Amino acid sequence: MVISPVIEMPSSAEELAKRLHEAAESRLAVVPVGGGRASGMGGAPARCDVELHTTRLDRVLEHSQADMVVSVEAGISLESLQAELGKARQFLPLDPFNSPGHTIGGLLATGWTGPLRQRFGSARDFLIGIRVALPDGHLATAGGRVVKNVSGYDLMKLHHGALGSLGVIVAASFKVFPRPLHDVTLEMTAESIGAAWAGVDAALALPLAPSALELFSDGRVLARFLGSPDAVNHMVAELGWQKADASVWAEHSRRASGSWARIAVPRRSLHVILDTLPRDSKWWASPGTGIAHWSFTGDAETLRDVRRAAEKLQGSLVLLAAPAEIMTAVGAWGTPPATIEVMRRLKRAFDPDGILNPGRFVV
Amino acid sequence: MPLTSPVVEELRRIVGRENVINSANDLRIFERDASIEGAIPDAVVLAASTEQVSAVIKVAAKHRIPVVPRGAGTGLSGGAVTIRGGIALQVTRMRRILEIDPVAQTALVEPGVVNQELSLAASSHGLFYAPDPSSQKACTLGGNAAENSGGPHCLYYGVTTNHVLGMEVVLADGSVHWVSGDTADRVGIDLCGVLVGSEGTLCAITKIKVRLLRIPPSVATLLAAFPTIEAASQAVSAVIARGIVPAALEMMDRVTVGAVEAHFHAGYPTDAGSVLLVEVDGLPEGTRELMAAVRDVLAENQGFAMREAQTPAERDLLWAGRKGAIGALGRIKPNYYLHDGVVPRSRLPQVLSAVGEIGEHYRLPVANVFHAGDGNLHPNILFDLRDREVMQQVENAGEEMLRAVVELGGALSGEHGIGLEKSAFMPWVFSPDDLEAMQRVKEALDVDGIMNPGKIFPDPSRKHVHLAGRTGLAVEAKWW
Repeated sequence: MVISPVIEMPSSAEELAKRLHEAAESRLAVVPVGGGRASGMGGAPARCDVELHTTRLDRVLEHSQADMVVSVEAGISLESLQAELGKARQFLPLDPFNSPGHTIGGLLATGWTGPLRQRFGSARDFLIGIRVALPDGHLATAGGRVVKNVSGYDLMKLHHGALGSLGVIVAASFKVFPRPLHDVTLEMTAESIGAAWAGVDAALALPLAPSALELFSDGRVLARFLGSPDAVNHMVAELGWQKADASVWAEHSRRASGSWARIAVPRRSLHVILDTLPRDSKWWASPGTGIAHWSFTGDAETLRDVRRAAEKLQGSLVLLAAPAEIMTAVGAWGTPPATIEVMRRLKRAFDPDGILNPGRFVV
Repeated sequence: MPLTSPVVEELRRIVGRENVINSANDLRIFERDASIEGAIPDAVVLAASTEQVSAVIKVAAKHRIPVVPRGAGTGLSGGAVTIRGGIALQVTRMRRILEIDPVAQTALVEPGVVNQELSLAASSHGLFYAPDPSSQKACTLGGNAAENSGGPHCLYYGVTTNHVLGMEVVLADGSVHWVSGDTADRVGIDLCGVLVGSEGTLCAITKIKVRLLRIPPSVATLLAAFPTIEAASQAVSAVIARGIVPAALEMMDRVTVGAVEAHFHAGYPTDAGSVLLVEVDGLPEGTRELMAAVRDVLAENQGFAMREAQTPAERDLLWAGRKGAIGALGRIKPNYYLHDGVVPRSRLPQVLSAVGEIGEHYRLPVANVFHAGDGNLHPNILFDLRDREVMQQVENAGEEMLRAVVELGGALSGEHGIGLEKSAFMPWVFSPDDLEAMQRVKEALDVDGIMNPGKIFPDPSRKHVHLAGRTGLAVEAKWW
């Protein structure tokens, strides 16, 4: 028997907290929803009584251009935020796959990143404040609106990547970045993956490393250099690849699949894990960070093999979307981390009745 | 409360007789960190391994004895002070650099490794460790991770939490865990991110894996003078607004420059209202280009007497002046007291004029030397601890300055931590619900509250203690 969940679309953080609290009081299972771009991530919810949408929380709360800080509600789309920042020649260095349409809250909850992670890190590195609705109806803020802050616990880190399992993110503040003075994209297509890896190594060994570097299963390599014009031009000349149009990045960020997995391994082991993928697999990878996205077609056994190999390398394979039978057979996350008991203690502290995203995250 | 003999015996069995200190005289050495308040521990345990740290914490947990992890004791917020007594768990015997991996550009270190020693060791691979607190010649990486320390170069490179990849930690029950590690993405809650900066209140840190960066091939360092501190503040905002994020952007006021110049003879202009120290790094052509742009912006904003370091020795001297500035202030008065509040960068002129007025009101000399690019203040209130009358004034002035920071939308601390010193001020910026959420983390990981109790959270039972004569020892020992 399938019962459709109640759809709640609160228009303020306070209202959202209230709806969450009401659900918690009635022990109803709540699934927070942002842009829905990562709705396939994680295990299938064990229950879903209430869908709590953040999409009406879509305001820019404050953009202080001179301070290069922005505060937004969680339901704003990444594209809307970038448009606002762009007016001041600033940007947030987030370029997640399966774009457009991600909300900021969704990106924080999933921890998704894209090619620019190589230079700027993940949102974890420039998230300076957060506001979260908790099942008891409280709104808890941590951090602030300044670029450097060690006042109190870093609860930004607690919620980043926790897939809404400890609270629902309702607002966030970021340190933003000036648009680079110069931005050049280069491309090369190698005859073989081996030759493509040689190109990757050459790019990573440059004195000014690329800000993004992507390797594709068809032997193509994309590199993006950001910085002062003279330095960037020097690197462009040294690498000697073809110039490509900057639009390749927007195109790349649209990449996704109904069956895809994220593989993360230590950087130096990336080629090892990619070698274990079945021949003719379609994947793209960030050799500077050790992350690969694999659009798989194989069966559960193949996925298990690759996951086993990734975990042997101290890494992980996480399903971002998969047909239900694969998700059930393989599991979204793999072997639970050794610290799972510690994580469960935190889960119980914030969501004692387990009403947030039950069954979806590791805790 | 002194530890009972059986407890002391238990501790001695773990670390060896000579590594448990409990004689009244010896304990006094561990009374303080670099902040102004002190408390004498009941025992100091000098642990040499993860196993020992774990075993000590298990004993403490069994008897509900407070445990305060301690590195070099250079912290500025009282993080290492045993305010509720108990065990100071000294980790400076754990000082090995276990591994430097030049390919992965990482290092695995024990918590007692001194910050600068890591960069020195990594330099033979062309690598360095970016966070550079001014105390980097003495402070430990364990302390840095516990406090989420910053430093001048964090403007571009980020603070400690951006560079810690993973840690081995001991929780309040003595259990040992690895949090995070070598991969960019992990499965589960980011425990490492939560534990970095938790000021010893959630865990003791026994190993740290950090990211190393390539030493930039070229560095340019510029000193520029300004007629007033306001003009220099405007220049800072203008540089950033131009889209330039220098590696470091530091400010010193006239009082500081006078003391620094008298001490270091680094060529700082003593007639200026304030000076900026600006550093850019990268490829040679990039630094040339950026520095030219920086000079233009500074000149447009009343910058004068600009001087670029011509040699590495000159650069080192400029930085010695900056990093040794607080020490040099000893020429003016023997003691200093400072907060490290952060304001939005554009509020620097306002907050600095407020700081100046507060100093004048209390007739206390104030020397500003700080990370201007981050908006991270360090107003040093200068005084003489022997003059007990002045202490209440110093404390009030510091509190008023911090209040000004908060009223301008700022934060209580940018890099020193809340510790003991600022815990009473937490309700200025956080609501009861905010603090309760943080408290839940504390209670989830440290049920009995034995890890560094009395820090971060406001303690209603604690009367507002005055700085002077809290223990009397600082005065008696004539530590200045």
